[in-house]
Amino acid sequence: MKLRPKVWLALLLAMSMALTACGDSEETTTTTTAPTETTTSAMAEETTTTVAGGDTTTTTEPVVRADADLVIWADDTRTPVIQEFADDFAAENNITVAVQELSFDGLRDRLITAAPAGEGPDIIIGAHDWLGQLVSAGVVAPLDIGAVADQFAPAAVQAFNYQGTNYGLPYAIENIALVRNTDLVPESPATFEELVDTALQLEADGEVTLPLALQENGNGDPFHNYPIVTAFGGYVFGENADGSYNPEDIGIASEGGVAAAEYFAELSNEGVISIDTLYDVMIETFSNGDAPFAITGPWALGEFDAAGVNYVVEPIPSVQGGEPRPFVGVQGFMLSAFAENPLIASTFVLDFMATQQAQEALFEAGGRPPAHTAAFLAVAADNPNIEGFGEAGQNGYPMPAIPEMGSVWQAWTDAYALIFTGTDPEQAVTDAADQIRTLIDEG
Amino acid sequence: MTEREARQVQDSDAPPPENGRGTDAPRRSSLTWALVGKILFLGAVNALFFVGLPSMLALEWWAGIAVLGLATALVNWAYLTKKNLPAKYLIPGTIFALTFQIVPVIYSGYISLTNSSISHRLSEEQALDNLTGRASNVPGTTRFDMSILADPEGTLALFLVDDEGTETFGTQEGQVALSADEVTRDEDGDVVAVGDYTLLGIAAISERQNEILDFDVPVERGAIMAVTITTAAVYEALYTYDEDTGMLTENATGVVYEPKDGIFTAADGRTLDPGWQVFIGFDNYTRAFTNDSIRGPFLRVLVWNYVFAILSVILTFAVGLGLAVTLNRAGMRGQKIYRAFLVVPYALPSFMTALIWAGMLNQQFGVINELLGADIPWLRDPTLAKASVLMVNLWLGFPYMFLVSTGALQSIPSELKEASYVDGATPRQAFNAITFPLLMVSLAPLLIASFAFNFNNFNVIYLLNQGGPPIEGATTPAGHTDILISYTYRLAFESGSGAQWGFASAIAVLIFMMVAAVSALSFRRTRALEDLA
Repeated sequence: MKLRPKVWLALLLAMSMALTACGDSEETTTTTTAPTETTTSAMAEETTTTVAGGDTTTTTEPVVRADADLVIWADDTRTPVIQEFADDFAAENNITVAVQELSFDGLRDRLITAAPAGEGPDIIIGAHDWLGQLVSAGVVAPLDIGAVADQFAPAAVQAFNYQGTNYGLPYAIENIALVRNTDLVPESPATFEELVDTALQLEADGEVTLPLALQENGNGDPFHNYPIVTAFGGYVFGENADGSYNPEDIGIASEGGVAAAEYFAELSNEGVISIDTLYDVMIETFSNGDAPFAITGPWALGEFDAAGVNYVVEPIPSVQGGEPRPFVGVQGFMLSAFAENPLIASTFVLDFMATQQAQEALFEAGGRPPAHTAAFLAVAADNPNIEGFGEAGQNGYPMPAIPEMGSVWQAWTDAYALIFTGTDPEQAVTDAADQIRTLIDEG
Repeated sequence: MTEREARQVQDSDAPPPENGRGTDAPRRSSLTWALVGKILFLGAVNALFFVGLPSMLALEWWAGIAVLGLATALVNWAYLTKKNLPAKYLIPGTIFALTFQIVPVIYSGYISLTNSSISHRLSEEQALDNLTGRASNVPGTTRFDMSILADPEGTLALFLVDDEGTETFGTQEGQVALSADEVTRDEDGDVVAVGDYTLLGIAAISERQNEILDFDVPVERGAIMAVTITTAAVYEALYTYDEDTGMLTENATGVVYEPKDGIFTAADGRTLDPGWQVFIGFDNYTRAFTNDSIRGPFLRVLVWNYVFAILSVILTFAVGLGLAVTLNRAGMRGQKIYRAFLVVPYALPSFMTALIWAGMLNQQFGVINELLGADIPWLRDPTLAKASVLMVNLWLGFPYMFLVSTGALQSIPSELKEASYVDGATPRQAFNAITFPLLMVSLAPLLIASFAFNFNNFNVIYLLNQGGPPIEGATTPAGHTDILISYTYRLAFESGSGAQWGFASAIAVLIFMMVAAVSALSFRRTRALEDLA
């Protein structure tokens, strides 16, 4: 094959472009080895990655693990705080630490697919109820927090214990509670019935449009309805003697579950709650003073504060004599089973993030009540709302982490959608319980 | 190749690569551009290969290197030689077809024959590592402050201080007492050496951390192991693996687990997650046909799926064609502006607009009920919800039909219609007998494509109403507007224990076969149309 000069030129240029590409990628690996240098590689630019001491580059979801001695995946609210501690840790140990930002749910899904391929992080910050999936996928490593466990709320420690093994260091506890507009309702209602009467009276007087802003998402929302279900003695899964959940015992259509379902039908018929209350509707009506009460979690307070509405956070009062007990979600640090730097990772989590100072800093960033007992007390002292959520969550149930929970949500949501549109409540929850059993047996 | 296809090939390609002939002056500039284009193209192709090479080498993925290397070499060969004109089209075409069409289809088919799911994703080796690596803290034992040391050969050892301040030395033989003269300390009293063993710096620890984590100091019960770089505690393994029998024994209970269908299974049927991915033949397909949870509402969902896809095509086509015919009158004022407005729904991402429609159709707070002053359950009532889904899909889909119909109308010679008028046909007769049949020749394949697209139109169904409202008393959660893909998406990804890729792939293959069957039948009919033309 005889090549003419032009063709040689083409070949030469093509090769040099190829080599340039090569050269670039080599540069990538060298720039991050020194602790305080910045990564501006092609890889890092695909994500919001900050290598300790460096600048942040923002683009889309991470595709690959950042190039650093320790890689942490967190969502947008936590990244900046973690970054500060990562910087200190990096400086103290003369290593590089990268914090990559992903969407909260993206974290879990991405860990499951990326970790076994060697593209995952060393540490993720996530929710305890992911454990069922993460453990069965084999992507989280046990973490022995025995040395610091007594400094944390027992419920939070328990939440990260899955099948007898601990998988994470908790940092925040969150649950829903009653938020009351203090201008419209100056006194806390003693019972839920009193709450309903007050709210309906305000509506009749034309003061409000929605008596109770209970988020139903357009389809029914079991998570937000759960406190009322538990007040009637309903439950999702029964508990074994050791406090773990028993997927064989589904309590959605138990006696208490049916009573709760009937009560929801009543609330809906009286117009106390509405299936059309989406998150935005809940925020808007409560912020504008169009709803005297909301049932929501700490994540909504920022928007209430921004709107300037006066409110307090308190436990939901007893419903027909029963105590409402919300789901409690615990967030914390977990180690990847495929961590490249497992020992450095556990050192960072146990030595750097288990302190009162770190836990308070995380509260400042995300507004979620700390799981660290001393940090919680310090924070709650200046922040009555946090105390209110803490009080409401005291008797809460940890959100089940068992994989069977995945079979529950849709059927349960459907049951509420049907109840709110007029199906017999007992029938609706009985069907839902049957659907869940079918899914668990055949899933 | 039919004549028409051949013509298309000639038409569609802007001239580039073949540049041999031209040193004659008038063609020079276009040739230079062709050359630059060629250089950039080949450069990009080669660069792509060399960018990927280091990571493929790191993964030792030899097959990948061979295939990609061969493809790159073929492209270079085709474009750097003067001959091989067909190869210049065929090679890139074949590569793209393989990469984007055939490989994904084969891969889906392959995955559908495995048990791939959230708990069967690892390799057997990874799953085994996970289980044998599990350990629990031995109750009642102390925790240690620890320093990591190594002798000149690099053998690791741990300097341990228990909670009472007693100092001991741990090697892989065991834990031994220390006499004061063996330990060298710095001015702060921190240990720097024990005999030959000297303290490891952070860099060395970082380098050897997996080795350090695997290092254990055997004690009476269990072994002392590092927890962080400065602390250690006593652990015992939860499981013991017997390489000869391949059995895994739970140490606390003595229960023996046997590897079975990609997961360690005890005699009583209990299993240990994680499992690993294995080939299971046609089990996923059997499950799709025999499983109660799928058979339950399946027929209902399937019927609605066909109704939805067919009605979507008919409605969008009817509206699109009607508008195209209306706006096709020569000399109409503002024609371009009307056309531009009509295309708007097509230009907006359906992802957004479907969600916006969901908000507008909200019963209590939606703008539609507000405007009507009504309280219509658009998305709650089974029949209305179906109508709403079709209406939104019509809104999203008619601009496409409008565009293709407009294009096709303009390509029909007006002489034909005029000739029919001369023969005394009414406009309606002319449309029915001439325009419409001619349109169908070019549009029928697009209608089939539209059917295939709508058959799997997950976006509209899921974003508008998540398939709801729920069907009362169904054996598994299913909605009145659920189509196969949204229904099985929930089954495969949002129930049970999370994502079940193997099962989902089997469903995908089955849906592919249904759509393929309908499309094949329709294309046959279309060929009959072409003969008519």
